Amino acid sequence: MTDTKITSKEAIMLVVTIFVSHTIVTLPQNLLSNTKSATLINLLYVGIIAILLAYVIYRLLKNFASLDIVDISQYLGGNILKNIIGGIFITYFIVSSSNLLREFCEGLHVAFFPMTSIQFVLIPFILVLFLTNSLSFSSNVKTIAIIFPIVLISIVFLFFGNFQNFSFERMFPILGKGFYDTFITGIGNIFAFSGISCLYFIPPYLKEPNKMKQIALSSVIIGLLYFLFCTATILLLFSFFVDVDEVLPLYSAASYIEFGIFFQRLESFFMLIWILEIGCYLIVTNRFSISIFQKITNLKFQKPLAMIFPLLILGISLLPKNYSIIRFLESNIYSYFIIAIIFVLGIAILLLANLKKRKEGKVR
Amino acid sequence: MNIKRMISSLFTYIPQEQYNFVLFRDTTGNQSSENKELKKDDENKTIYPSLSVNLEYVKSKYNSMINSDIIIREFTLNARGKQYSAFLLYIDGMINTDIMNKFVLEPLMLRNKSNMYDNEQNRIISEAVTNNITVRKVKKFNLADYIMSCLMPQNTVEQFSKFSKIFNDVNSGNCALFIDTLNIAFDIEVKGFEKRSIDKPENEIVIKGAHEAFVENIRTNTSLIRRSVHNENLIIENIQIGDITKTNCALCYVKTLANSDLVAELRYRLNNLEIDSMLSSGQLEQMIVDNNLISIPQVISTERPDKATSYLLDGRIVLLVNGAPYALVVPAVFTDFLSTPDDKNMRTSFSNFIKWIRILATFISLLLPGLYVAIASFHQELLPTDLLYSILASRETVPFPVILEILILEISFELIREAGIRVPSPIGPTIGIVGALIIGQSAVSAGIVSPILIIVVAMTGIASFAVPDYSFSFHLRIYRFLFIFLGYCCGFLGIGLGFLAYLVVLCDTKSFGVSFTSGISPLQKTVGHSYFLQPIWLREFRASYLDPKKHNKQEKISMKWKYPFLKEEDIQ
Amino acid sequence: MKHLLKVFSFVVIFVILTVSFSSSYTRLNLDNIAVVVAIGIDKGENNKLKVSFQFTNPSSVSESGSSETAPTILKSVTASSISSAINLMNSHLGKELTLAHCKLLVFSEEIAKEGISDDIYTLMNDAQTRPSCNIVISKCTAEYYIDNSKPFLESLISKYYELFISSNQFTGYTANATLGRFFDNMICQSCDPYAILGGINLQIPSDSENSFSNKESTDMSNSSSLTGETISENVGLAVFREGTLVGELNAIETLAFMCINNDIKGFLISVPSPHVENQNIDVYLTPARNSKIDVSFINGSPYIKVDCKFCAQIYSMTNDSNYLDNNVLSQISESCNRYLKHVFTEYLYKTSKEYKSDINAIGKTSLKLFSTISQYENYGWREHYQDSFFDVSVDVNVKSSTLLSDS
Repeated sequence: MTDTKITSKEAIMLVVTIFVSHTIVTLPQNLLSNTKSATLINLLYVGIIAILLAYVIYRLLKNFASLDIVDISQYLGGNILKNIIGGIFITYFIVSSSNLLREFCEGLHVAFFPMTSIQFVLIPFILVLFLTNSLSFSSNVKTIAIIFPIVLISIVFLFFGNFQNFSFERMFPILGKGFYDTFITGIGNIFAFSGISCLYFIPPYLKEPNKMKQIALSSVIIGLLYFLFCTATILLLFSFFVDVDEVLPLYSAASYIEFGIFFQRLESFFMLIWILEIGCYLIVTNRFSISIFQKITNLKFQKPLAMIFPLLILGISLLPKNYSIIRFLESNIYSYFIIAIIFVLGIAILLLANLKKRKEGKVR
Repeated sequence: MNIKRMISSLFTYIPQEQYNFVLFRDTTGNQSSENKELKKDDENKTIYPSLSVNLEYVKSKYNSMINSDIIIREFTLNARGKQYSAFLLYIDGMINTDIMNKFVLEPLMLRNKSNMYDNEQNRIISEAVTNNITVRKVKKFNLADYIMSCLMPQNTVEQFSKFSKIFNDVNSGNCALFIDTLNIAFDIEVKGFEKRSIDKPENEIVIKGAHEAFVENIRTNTSLIRRSVHNENLIIENIQIGDITKTNCALCYVKTLANSDLVAELRYRLNNLEIDSMLSSGQLEQMIVDNNLISIPQVISTERPDKATSYLLDGRIVLLVNGAPYALVVPAVFTDFLSTPDDKNMRTSFSNFIKWIRILATFISLLLPGLYVAIASFHQELLPTDLLYSILASRETVPFPVILEILILEISFELIREAGIRVPSPIGPTIGIVGALIIGQSAVSAGIVSPILIIVVAMTGIASFAVPDYSFSFHLRIYRFLFIFLGYCCGFLGIGLGFLAYLVVLCDTKSFGVSFTSGISPLQKTVGHSYFLQPIWLREFRASYLDPKKHNKQEKISMKWKYPFLKEEDIQ
Repeated sequence: MKHLLKVFSFVVIFVILTVSFSSSYTRLNLDNIAVVVAIGIDKGENNKLKVSFQFTNPSSVSESGSSETAPTILKSVTASSISSAINLMNSHLGKELTLAHCKLLVFSEEIAKEGISDDIYTLMNDAQTRPSCNIVISKCTAEYYIDNSKPFLESLISKYYELFISSNQFTGYTANATLGRFFDNMICQSCDPYAILGGINLQIPSDSENSFSNKESTDMSNSSSLTGETISENVGLAVFREGTLVGELNAIETLAFMCINNDIKGFLISVPSPHVENQNIDVYLTPARNSKIDVSFINGSPYIKVDCKFCAQIYSMTNDSNYLDNNVLSQISESCNRYLKHVFTEYLYKTSKEYKSDINAIGKTSLKLFSTISQYENYGWREHYQDSFFDVSVDVNVKSSTLLSDS
């Protein structure tokens, strides 16, 4: 079964893919509206907290070599806890991916297909998921490893392509809404690092489980750099004193890039790259939710689930009636949801499991 | 008289005689089981001691009464003055008559010194004298041994006791000698059939490499490989495939390099092919790969011995099929299909430049028409205004939508291509002229297609010729149509997701246990393999995904002459 | 059977997708679009907008590469908004208008004075419009302006629109005002938008003389001294406050704007000769470094220091000039300093006191003096900008003349 194992570099890319996809849609916008011109400082600050948390998670996972959080919760609280935790995380993955998909497709709908109704824009993604789910996990990860560098380069290109349009004064006033908003309530911006949730699930897939520390830290650091590039591009390019929301802020940023007369309209190519990236994100969340489901139900094969989860995502992503509901969910509920699940629940379970293990060790 | 016949033909009923041949299918189903039993019997049949029985059996087996080229030569054999009746079985046209006459028939039939003795003399092997008693160890006269050692001035002679083995070799051009009283037969190599001589490669042309190509004969091919590997560790295993044809296939690998699991796996796959016939390497390729559904080639097929050899020395395995001038190399990864043997003969910078061009060619050949359709259908804002105007202007008179236009042109291009291959060579160039001029020029002036589209299709065509491997470029040709449809259907969304799916499938593909995208995607450190070549002194390792037995290809400092005073410790 | 089902489902999905995307296809594909090159917005009757669209007939852009100027088509409709104008035009043409290649957005002076912020919002909301599209405020009607902008050197009007603004980096007569930047400055609290000032030359010689400078630098669109065919020209800037036109800048003021804004690569000015009365010397200046703007607050009103540095080369040559003499050079640079300082100060006071518009985005520089947004908002930069005090210092370093140095 070496087929399902992935190398540590691939694991890093997998985690960062989760970080990155949200930046394509409204994540930078949400961050900026939370902390305004202090977002870069806030991001650095939150990023350091995220790195610390990732380290904590690594330390807590270390005692359970190649067990993921579902296994650990089984160890802690038996089958009931396992089912609850598995259910919560499946919900998290499904909801976040369907939300992201819907948001991105709304953007696609506006930019590319003004006359096509949204469900048909969603369908191609679901079809691709059918295919990718029925192929091996390692092939999915390998694909991500091919696509991820392209995405990374695209965002760096976006940053430097827009460099001439930047006005660096937009970083000021340096504290944005104020000290309290930046550093205390600003901690809420940690929801950007929702990709940390992957850390709970990758240990069973790793070829070299002892490199978990490297994976945890470097993926968060790469993700942080990525966020800085994205938000800097948007912050320095647009005025944010008046809230002018854009459906796909990075897409709008891309339309400002110009090199001479000929290379002007590059945003569609960026869109092409981002379609690939969103596809990768969906692949990852699908894979994880399928494997959690498999663990809960003790199924032998994953293949029968290959079509169910994409269809579930399609269904949930069609639920919101209009874009404003999605944005409301995204900016108000979703962020707390993420913080509660990933940073509170996950760490709490790991802590308790560690305590239990230590106790058992003492008893022995 | 004539009038009478006319009238009779008018009014007489003549039953219509229609020739009607129908091949009935035997639906009873016991045919195969009978055949199997017969086959089993045949396989175990041993040679009888009586010559006449053997003769009868051979005659019936080879259908010599109706088989025109089977020749059974009966004669009398002289051995030590005694005479035995014997016969030779061979196939006309497959043997060398000179060898047959001079070195088989002549020593057996004519009287010479060695078969002059008439009494049964036993040969003394050793003699020891103790107490004036001589003890002689005597070997009894054995006709088979005697013929083998004295009467057969031939290099390759074997004795077999089973008919199946004898027939197998006779079928490949040997002759069999049956002798009365012996329950064995001699299998004498007298092969000598017409074959093509070694020629220049026709489909894989290089500039600086060798100009030899494989031929149909497997022995010539193995000798070509053997000559360039020049090492006793090169193993050439013989495996016969096909119940009827029993085609010789050669499994070649360097014992000290190739991974033994890989060799065993290939041997296992080859030995477990239940087929009647195996006529070409193309068939064999499809029989042994993991996945035939996707058209991605998973085996390298080459007509160049130097390419095959260089892969052998990387630790891969080469398969040769008798009758096919192509060698198969396994395992193959994606980047192999974008490399030519010339790459290593040129300076690194040259070949890396060409390799960039090939990547570009791959993308153009796969995606360009699809992208054009997508841009024309959904994303015209992407085009610079001037370009948009020239496209619009060129499309003014065209009655078809872009998708139809591009399909017309792509299909006619494929037609020209196929016709150009099948057409007899003297009129080959005409096809090109007809295709290029008539289709291109006239279609534009008639306003059926736009000139921009001609450029797109021509670019695609040229790019697909720049992909070095034929089957890979064919694969791209087919998938190109898929991307055209996707681009038409949902623009960049279709192309993007289609490409994602294509990548996943590509990553899922395996060629003999090696991931097809090795060297590109699992970003672990794959030493010794990169698509772009390193300078020659840095190519120290063999590709790690092949897991060869010996990893180092050359010393860390290969050009020792440059550092004459370097000590061993410094290298470490 | 299973295989057949698979094939069947693929075909069904493909058909469904094709059908569902076909509506977007019919709207977007090449054969069904009409490419708009320029849009002009005028005031129409009954408080309506008169929107003019300019197209190029693609068939005239033949592949043979003829050098004839491609004819353009100008169509106008009167409607209540831009979107409904587009809609009307769609039905009129039988094709779908696409604004993705629109290079020029012309507003008439009349409508700009009433405010164009709603139109700008609408245009930015459109997914097709490019932020790089240029905004022109025309002194005449927009329709007349577009009708009379004819390229001389290019055969394609779109290419002309793309290039006509590019010379400003070396002349400084007008700035590159794009829709994206206009929108950005409009919604920004610390800056104000500006647009290109365009007009049609009516060949009336201008007689306004400036004591400091030669004639050209006071040129504005509509009053320049170009002769020839009737031609559109773009000299000067239209100054906005939020979304409303409040004033105009002439060429030399635009130059000052561009120097302070660091948009210029080099420019030619005529400065009074220090030796001969009533004689000017042409000097070509290139910025030696980016201009520095420093804001501080004195008694609640901004005190703005502007510091510019230039390198200069002398273009004009007479038979008695000696540019090897260090004294002469320093005198010329002194003259340049005085001249530029005067021009810059005039310009800054004009925009701040008269127009109350911060098109140089000096407010952005002041941002770092505040630590939170609420402080900034409470201060209200836009209100205080008119009270600002400017301190301009210019440092010109005259290097040499061009080829001849002494005569």
